[in-house]
Amino acid sequence: MEGLNVQNISKTFHIRVRPPEGALGHFVSLIAGKGDTRELRVLDDISFDCRPGGVLGVIGRNGCGKSTLLRIIAGIYKEDSGIVCAPGRVMYLSGFNIGLQSRLTMRENIYLVGSMMGLKKRDVKRYFNDIIAFSGLKDFLDTNVYQFSSGMVARLGFSSVISFMSHKKPEVVLLDEVLGAGGDAEFKEEALEKMEDFINSGAAVVMVSHDMKPIRKYCSRAIFLENGKIVAEGKPESVIKRYESTIGISS
Amino acid sequence: MREILRLSFSLAKTNFKLRNEGSYLGIVWYLLGPLALFFIILFVKGAAFPGTSAPSYPIYLLVGITGFNFFRQSITTSIQAINANAGFLKSINNVSPETFVLSTILEAAFSHAFEVALVAVFMIYFGVPIMGILLYPISFLVFLPFVIGAGFFCATVGVYTIDLDNVWMILSQLLFFVTPIFYTVEPGTALYTVNLFNPLFYFVRISRDLLIHQSFPPVRIFGALLVAGAIACFIGIKLFESKKRELAERV
Repeated sequence: MEGLNVQNISKTFHIRVRPPEGALGHFVSLIAGKGDTRELRVLDDISFDCRPGGVLGVIGRNGCGKSTLLRIIAGIYKEDSGIVCAPGRVMYLSGFNIGLQSRLTMRENIYLVGSMMGLKKRDVKRYFNDIIAFSGLKDFLDTNVYQFSSGMVARLGFSSVISFMSHKKPEVVLLDEVLGAGGDAEFKEEALEKMEDFINSGAAVVMVSHDMKPIRKYCSRAIFLENGKIVAEGKPESVIKRYESTIGISS
Repeated sequence: MREILRLSFSLAKTNFKLRNEGSYLGIVWYLLGPLALFFIILFVKGAAFPGTSAPSYPIYLLVGITGFNFFRQSITTSIQAINANAGFLKSINNVSPETFVLSTILEAAFSHAFEVALVAVFMIYFGVPIMGILLYPISFLVFLPFVIGAGFFCATVGVYTIDLDNVWMILSQLLFFVTPIFYTVEPGTALYTVNLFNPLFYFVRISRDLLIHQSFPPVRIFGALLVAGAIACFIGIKLFESKKRELAERV
């Protein structure tokens, strides 16, 4: 089984220097020629691979292109050049409150999140009881979510998303600053265990994080992005050291 | 495609439900707008132009209003379909952007179904044979491709220009007065010639023929609407597909 292979990915954003314009402004710009934009090279010739079961950490400062890289691999953004070879299903996760609607009940939200994640109704039914049990919110099944505390919302979101993601059995998992869940200490611990099981399920995992603890704990390799380029690659400890020395903090 | 339709239906159902959640009048709100317009025009026309009405004028008027309402709502919500779901587009990679456009059109179709039920009630009240209501889906299905094509076109353009909704607000007012919704138009007049280029004219014409007279309009009327639908679908969907992977970057 092949893993994730990223070859020579580059991406430039054309950043507007004027506020968004209306239809008339667009028309005038079109007639007059190119509008006022600035080019921002976010990714420059990025290549790496991640084998099945491997966990690759991606670190770097804000705006260095980490999320853009994951979104290109996920197919959300379009690369300017380069190739992404991903075997089978790719899942991108940037949070656990996917599609939750505060004016729907917990029961309705579970079905909605399941739909958003591509599950059929009968598949959602299969996981329904497990989600209720794991969230610990059995007594609030028919309560509107706007009446939930933020911790309860975190429980519902995490329990639903992690169950449905496990069901989809993705070959490539892209985690964008998500690892555990909110909620109380007990739930956080249980959620982290679930997440660890998911990370160790055999998929190729690419993990973006500003927190170096999970990078050290879960990753077999890491890359450090700076100004859209890979400036260090290898064992997590050495890459983290390079990152920390670049940004001027001591570990 | 099946997956897109399934999720579109699910989202449309959820949004439709959410619009009524907690409301004392519920779906009656959907009907109050067209109903108010219906009574105002009926009153004004009766007072200002007595004796110049089409046969079964109240039904003629209501069919025109509900048909126009469906088109206006579909386009109004399509323009914002991508912008309003920017969060989803950037954070989920297994939901196709087409889903958000189709779900807004489906939601408008749900509202329209209630308006058609209202037309049925008025048909009974005004003594118009109710059998025509069974033929109505024909005109709706013939018009739907045009709405879908126009919806995709507007959803794409709506991402690139911020004031398309304002432009549409003015255009839709113009369309309301150009289309023979509350008046009749005779062949040979300038207004009739203008309406030959107006797909909404064909839709209300077919709807009225089927509902009020239980008769099929000439084949060229059906043909004109189907051709307009095919052209709209070709342009709208092609434009959307060509920009699909740029949309998440622009919102």
